[in-house]
Parts: sequence; C-alpha cells; structure tokens
Amino acid sequence: MPKHDTPLLDELEKGPWPSFVTDLKRQAEKKPECFDILGQLELSYKDKITHWKHGGIVGVFGYGGGIVGRYSDVPDRFPGVAHFHTVRLNQPSSMFYNSAKLRDICNLWEKYGSGMTNMHGSTGDLVLLGTTTPNLEPLFYDLTHDLNQDLGGSGSNLRTPSCCLGRARCEWGCFDTQDLCHTLTMHYQDEIHRPAFPYKFKFKFSGCPNDCVAAIARSDFAVIGTWRDDIRIDQAAVKGYISGEFAANAGAHSGKDWGKFDIKAEVLDLCPTGCMWMEGDTLKIDNSECTRCMHCLNVMPRALRPGLQQGATICVGAKAPILDGAQFATMTVPFVEVKKNEDGEFAEIVEVIEKIWDWWMEVGKNRERVGETIQRIGLPTFLKVMEITPAPQHIKEPRSNPYVFWQEDEVEGGWERDVVEFRKRNAQ
Amino acid sequence: MALSREDLKAKILEKALTGPKAQLYVKDFYACDPESGPRDIKNAANDLVKEGKMTFWSSGSTTMYAAQGRAKDEENR
Ligand code: HEM
Ligand code: HEM
Ligand code: SF4
Ligand code: SF4
Repeated sequence: MPKHDTPLLDELEKGPWPSFVTDLKRQAEKKPECFDILGQLELSYKDKITHWKHGGIVGVFGYGGGIVGRYSDVPDRFPGVAHFHTVRLNQPSSMFYNSAKLRDICNLWEKYGSGMTNMHGSTGDLVLLGTTTPNLEPLFYDLTHDLNQDLGGSGSNLRTPSCCLGRARCEWGCFDTQDLCHTLTMHYQDEIHRPAFPYKFKFKFSGCPNDCVAAIARSDFAVIGTWRDDIRIDQAAVKGYISGEFAANAGAHSGKDWGKFDIKAEVLDLCPTGCMWMEGDTLKIDNSECTRCMHCLNVMPRALRPGLQQGATICVGAKAPILDGAQFATMTVPFVEVKKNEDGEFAEIVEVIEKIWDWWMEVGKNRERVGETIQRIGLPTFLKVMEITPAPQHIKEPRSNPYVFWQEDEVEGGWERDVVEFRKRNAQ
Repeated sequence: MALSREDLKAKILEKALTGPKAQLYVKDFYACDPESGPRDIKNAANDLVKEGKMTFWSSGSTTMYAAQGRAKDEENR
C-alpha cells in the first residue's frame, strides 16, 4: 500500500503537542494499512464528510456486541481500510492491570489488527482499532483462551460497566466500587454480550461525589458514594490548615503563590449551601443542610472525612446530546447501602436496576435512552414505577417539574363526581 | 396465555422473513405476542441468532435483527 500525500494532516504535526498523525505514520512502517487511514482522513478533510460507513453484521459467534463493523465507502482507493472493524475489550475494574497484560494485548493486536489502540474509550473499554472480518474469530479465540479477557458491550446491549479507583486507592470511597462493578459485570453477562434493550444502557460507579468516572454525566445508571451521618471533623487538623501547617488541597494548587490559606474565602464562603461557620477557632457544619458536594473535604482532606454511615445515591438517565441536548442523570434513589447478601449479590441494587429495565423495555421507544423516556413520560410516573416517595431533592426548582398530582382514588368521588352538584356549593 | 418459546420464535422468524422491513428493532417483535414480556421476546430473538436463522445488524450504538440474508451486508453486495 502506497503512501498518500496528506498536506492537511501534516499541519497537525506542527504544533507542540503529540500528534496522532505522527503516530500513524510511524505505525504505517509496520502496518501499511495505516497509510490508507491517513489517505482516507485527508480525503474527508477535503470533502468535509466522513468516508466511514456506519455499522454492519460482523461479530463473533454467540455474541451480539463488542465488535463494531466499520467499512470504507471508498475501498477502491484505500483497500487497506476496506474493512476496519473496532473491537472493544472489557477493561478490568478501575483499569488496574500490569504492563505484562498491556504488552499481551498489544501483541495480540499487532498479530490480528492494525496495532492501533485507543485507551480507553468513554465506556472504559480498551478499544482496538482496525481489523478485518476473517481475523475476528481467531482474535476472539486467543483473547479468551490465552489472555483471559472478554469483549465489552456495544449496540443495544448493557455497555461495559466502569468504576473509579474507589477503596483500592482512595480514602473517600464510600463503597467498594470495584466489587460492585465486577459483581454486576458477572451478573449481567447476557445483557453485556447480547442486545436486550431499546438502546444502549450504561452503568458507572463512583465511590464519592467527586465522581471520578463522571457517572452522573455519562451513565444511564450512576451509583455515587455518599454518607448519611455527619462529616467527621478533626478540629486539631482544621487549626493545622489555618496555621499553614498543612497545605490546602493536599498541595494540589501549590504551583503559584495564592497567599496564606483563608478558611473563610476558600471553604466557608464556597460551601454551596452555606452550612459551615466558625465559632472561635472551631469549625461547625449544619449537616442537615450539607449537600455532600465534597468541596470542603477536598480542600482539607486531613481535617474532614465522610461520615461513617456510608452507601450510595443512584441517579438515572444521563445522555449525550443526540436528542434534546445533553442531560445529567436525575437523582432517583437518595440512599442505598451497598452490601452483598449471603449469595454474594448486591440484591438491593439489582432490584433497582431491574425495575428500571422492566419499565424502559416496555415503554421506551426504539433508540430512546432511559433519560429521554423519563423526560417524555415524566418524573412523577417514573418515581411511581420505582415505588419511590417523592422528596424535595427530586425537583429541579419549584414549579419547573412539579410532582404532586392527585390520583383518582385520592379524590372523593373520583373523576366521575357530579360537577353540577359540586358547583352549586362551590362557585367557580 | 403467552406463547411457548418455540411458537414465539416461529412468529418472530416469520415476521423477519416476510415483513416489509428487512431490519427490525427488538420492539418491533413485541407485537408477535402481546402476552409475552419484553425479556421473553428478546431471548427468543437472540436464540434465533444463535441458531443462525437471524443475524444482528449493529451501527455500533443500536442493534437490529434481520432474517439470515436480509440484513444490509456491507461485504457481500
Ligand atoms: C401582605 C400581603 C401578602 C402576603 C404576605 C402574601 C403572601 C403570599 C405567599 C407567602 C404566597 C405563596 C408563595 C409561594 O408559595 O410561592 C403568596 C402567593 C400568592 N399571592 Fe400573596 N401575599 C400578599 C398579598 C397578595 C395580594 C394583594 C395578591 C393579589 C392581588 C396576592 C396574590 C397572590 C397569588 C396570585 C399567589 C399565588 C402565586 C403563585 O402561586 O405563583 N397576594 N402570597
Ligand atoms: C387570557 C388571559 C390569561 C391567560 C391566557 C393566562 C394564562 C396563564 C398560564 C398559561 C399560566 C401558567 C399556569 C401554570 O404554569 O400552571 C398562568 C398562571 C397565572 N396566571 Fe394567568 N392567564 C391569563 C390571565 C390572568 C389574569 C387576568 C390574572 C390575574 C388577575 C392571572 C393570574 C395568574 C397567576 C397568579 C398565575 C400563577 C398561578 C400559579 O402559578 O399557581 N392570569 N396564566
Ligand atoms: S470518585 Fe471519590 S472515591 Fe472514587 S476515586 Fe474519585 S475521589 Fe476517590
Ligand atoms: S460537603 Fe459541600 S455542602 Fe457539605 S459542608 Fe462541605 S462544602 Fe458544604
């Protein structure tokens, strides 16, 4: 395969940053099909249109996900990318693997694919870019037999679940994100590997409201750690921050001289609910007003820690902008304990998941994310389906999404009462 | 009463083979048996794929079903 002239792409090598164009040129020495990626992309830049066709029937036997068929619409000019399928590998929880594993994966991909990878995709998968249909089954065989790895989700499947580092490395983890992520991945193998839904469905797990996997913005089902009781305060450490003994934010912003730490300006006044104050040199928090935003804990990690009654909040329905603009997930279940039963299952969370699925599979339209279904049908109905009593936190602001509606059985005489009779007593 | 798995599969396959649309969403099969739940329908359709009578077609973000040979096949056209 010949090299193509790529004057437009070459511009992208001129900046001070690493360039994918340079990477591709280097890879093309080993894998000449990479010249055709560059050639086709150059053509796309000229034509201002993609030359990838969307989708296909490719996959590995028994699976309905994990491989995304991609074909060039100009295969005669760029035969190296006539087929250029994407493979998604389910990443280990928190993306913990050693360099030997990464080497094995890269070697496998040099053998069966273009050698190009994207680590990691937004579902967290290790994404392997570019192979041909005949290579798929042998790749899958080696992957599952030699590397003990599996494909991730794509299409209308449950997508590869992902989680933050959680308790493995982070003191703020309010539940074991890796355990929940791994256990649910195993529990829902069928849903990950075969389509089950009107559209994609994503699980993401963050150990605390810092939400390092951006669960609230990117997942249909976001489990975010929180606590019910009071923030633990070490008053001596608070004094240590004030006196400058400890660096605020664990020294994270120390590159510049911000002046002396000012607890009022940097913590109290930035608390979004204004629920913190000083009494002399003692820090006070009205925990009933605290919205668990994590700001004060992030600034003074040594002094403030999450409470001890830990669990998670479940938010439902984030999505990207395809219809109606992007939206965050809506707080649905204010608090659940994240614990396993004697069968090793997170039964309480599984129950919430399946209530959502049963409803969405029934009423969701084709290609409608659950967040769009909730938006279309209404949060009050969704909460009823979930058997959740509405709380003030379920509304965005007064009157923008009211949730109090009378039901027929709550009204004397129902909807069928005699209005004429009623109006005799109650003028309009 | 809901159809048996085999009867349900027969109805789904019939729709996939003879319906006007070559590629169908799983919801399009719900009408094959209003008594069967969405999960039964999806399991029956997925069984037909395992048996080689239907195929998946996926854009990468959505998945559809088609009777063997009716899906848009980029390789063999
Ligand atoms: C000292 C006199 C008044 C006081 C203390 C008062 C107080 C209030 C309060 C507390 C509310 C509820 C607000 C809410 O729930 O969002 C309200 C609502 C309302 N008031 Fe008054 N009000 C006064 C005079 C008036 C007058 C003179 C009128 C009309 C000429 C009026 C018309 C209304 C209406 C229409 C609402 C409903 C507004 C809505 O639901 O958006 N009020 N008032
Ligand atoms: C043709 C004339 C009118 C039209 C088309 C109209 C229309 C509306 C509409 C669409 C709302 C919003 C209802 C909701 O969001 O639930 C509303 C609210 C309201 N209107 Fe009118 N309106 C008219 C005349 C009036 C007049 C003459 C008054 C007062 C003298 C009035 C007082 C109010 C008040 C207080 C509300 C707020 C009610 C609440 O939020 O609970 N309106 N109106
Ligand atoms: S989300 Fe919270 S618990 Fe998880 S890694 Fe980030 S800060 Fe730690
Ligand atoms: S976590 Fe946020 S809301 Fe709660 S006290 Fe700290 S700054 Fe205020």
